[in-house]
Amino acid sequence: MVMNMDTAKKIIKAAIRHAQENDTLCSVAIVDERGFLVALHRMDRAPIPTVDIARDKAWTAATFRMPSSDIGKFGDPATPGFGFNTQNWNDRLTTIPGGLPIKDGDDIIGGIGVSGGMPEEDVAVCEAALADVTDLC
Amino acid sequence: MKEITLEMAEKMLQAAERWAELSGYPSSIAVVDKAGAVIAVHRMDGAGPMTTDISINKAFSAAYSGAPTLMLARMIDPRMMGPTPGSGGLGLLTQAKLRLMFIPGGNPIRDEEMKVIGGIGCSGVPDGVGEISDTTVVQAGYAAIYEEYD
Repeated sequence: MVMNMDTAKKIIKAAIRHAQENDTLCSVAIVDERGFLVALHRMDRAPIPTVDIARDKAWTAATFRMPSSDIGKFGDPATPGFGFNTQNWNDRLTTIPGGLPIKDGDDIIGGIGVSGGMPEEDVAVCEAALADVTDLC
Repeated sequence: MKEITLEMAEKMLQAAERWAELSGYPSSIAVVDKAGAVIAVHRMDGAGPMTTDISINKAFSAAYSGAPTLMLARMIDPRMMGPTPGSGGLGLLTQAKLRLMFIPGGNPIRDEEMKVIGGIGCSGVPDGVGEISDTTVVQAGYAAIYEEYD
């Protein structure tokens, strides 16, 4: 699987389908391995701020190569890398759950960010979409 | 047609992408709603990373001003300057937290009553090189929903 517009669209379609099943209104952003936006969709009537939050989650997951929820651990002085979370990372770094790196085997090829539901719902949508699409591609 | 749905936005993007492909320049295309908030953005394979934000800002500028960004570009042209410095459109430069774009390629989307319901922007196709420019691409996208809702 490589990150291109087709892959991004497929992942977004899958994510939106899962969000509809959960009855949440959300935005879904896909970035490439450098953190640059490839595609972003906002569902009808999803709140406006979800656009930027979804994009930030995807950026965080792709560039830090970890789920966005893991960034919070750098707030613990006992963790190596303590303080990462307080740097100004292009105004994009977020610790809100709902951003996951997209992997092809061991390679990270991009990131997905979902915003709109409760944090655990967003993570579930990300995981379900990636599971669907990894089979397809 | 009161507001733009995700489905309509995707239809517009699809039509616009076909024209961008024809031009031979991969580009980014964005559709925003009447609040200027993104509904959908696509960056075609091969388009540079800068084009996404430019296309979003072009669409935003068009929805926000109600004018094609080509017109905004003309308004800040120094030759349009009136008797007092600044009486042209130069004040626009600092509007909207510097998000306004003055490059052609963003058009407002209007409903039957000519109310602005959104904007569409494209970035990546150079102006004046081929027959197709960013403006052509957004017009193609814009036409896609009109054919259906007329």
